[in-house]
Amino acid sequence: MASEDLFAEDFSEEIISELEQDYVQEADIVEQEDIGGKETEEDNVVEEESTTPDESVPVTTNTEEDQTQSSKTKTTNVSSEARLFQLPLTRVRNIMKLDPDLHIASNEAVFLVTRATELFIQSLGVESYTFTAQAKKKTVQKRDVDLAIAAVDSLMFLDGAMSF
Amino acid sequence: MVERIEDLNLPNAVITRLLKDALPDGANVSKEARSAIARAASVFVIFLTSTSTSLARKQNHKTITATNILDALKQLEFESFIDPLTKDLEAYRKVVKDKKDKAKKDTSGTENGTEKESENAA
Repeated sequence: MASEDLFAEDFSEEIISELEQDYVQEADIVEQEDIGGKETEEDNVVEEESTTPDESVPVTTNTEEDQTQSSKTKTTNVSSEARLFQLPLTRVRNIMKLDPDLHIASNEAVFLVTRATELFIQSLGVESYTFTAQAKKKTVQKRDVDLAIAAVDSLMFLDGAMSF
Repeated sequence: MVERIEDLNLPNAVITRLLKDALPDGANVSKEARSAIARAASVFVIFLTSTSTSLARKQNHKTITATNILDALKQLEFESFIDPLTKDLEAYRKVVKDKKDKAKKDTSGTENGTEKESENAA
């Protein structure tokens, strides 16, 4: 186990970039293959759209345009599900390397930090949005982010670390 | 290595997409709020890394592993991340394993020069 980890380390950067490239390709393949599954997904999307009153979307009489629009939303859904991660691993690894105590990070560790950061971005967004909604607004402002950081205990580490 | 300071920022487009996926329909994020969240994310990476390295060092390990990251998240009170991340890690391991199996089969091809070398070395 340990020797395997070390062995993999020698090719870490290559494997990572290979993976990143492959995900794009794999996502494309899934899009093509998954036509059967897409229909159910489309149903979900349609349901979501019908439950939320979307005033900003004008009612188009052109059905062709509608179809291209819905196929676009499908594509983004599928590709985001097919990918294991969205942020660039190499960039995250570079940020991690700023830590002078860091000798080697296994690929799995970099992957987990990347995914954790994605979850972090989303949860900070959701926390911030609660303050946006309280103010009866739709657009998250910097103020809402600051309030979320001040309110949530696990975000305390950001206090004062944001002005670099 | 890092040559420009911008290399330490996470890509805006991806952050926007992640936020859009997480927020209810019709919600927007202002430019200032997004860049604050982006900066927070970079700080989070550094914070999580340094917590993980100190955990690894306690065990006299030089390499930080997946376990160190998960333990660090627990310590930092991001327990809610652990279950989804454990699942993601399994999926990631499977993809890497499939890739390795595939690469072994492909070693006869001219494409994977580095793979060949590694096998010779072993």
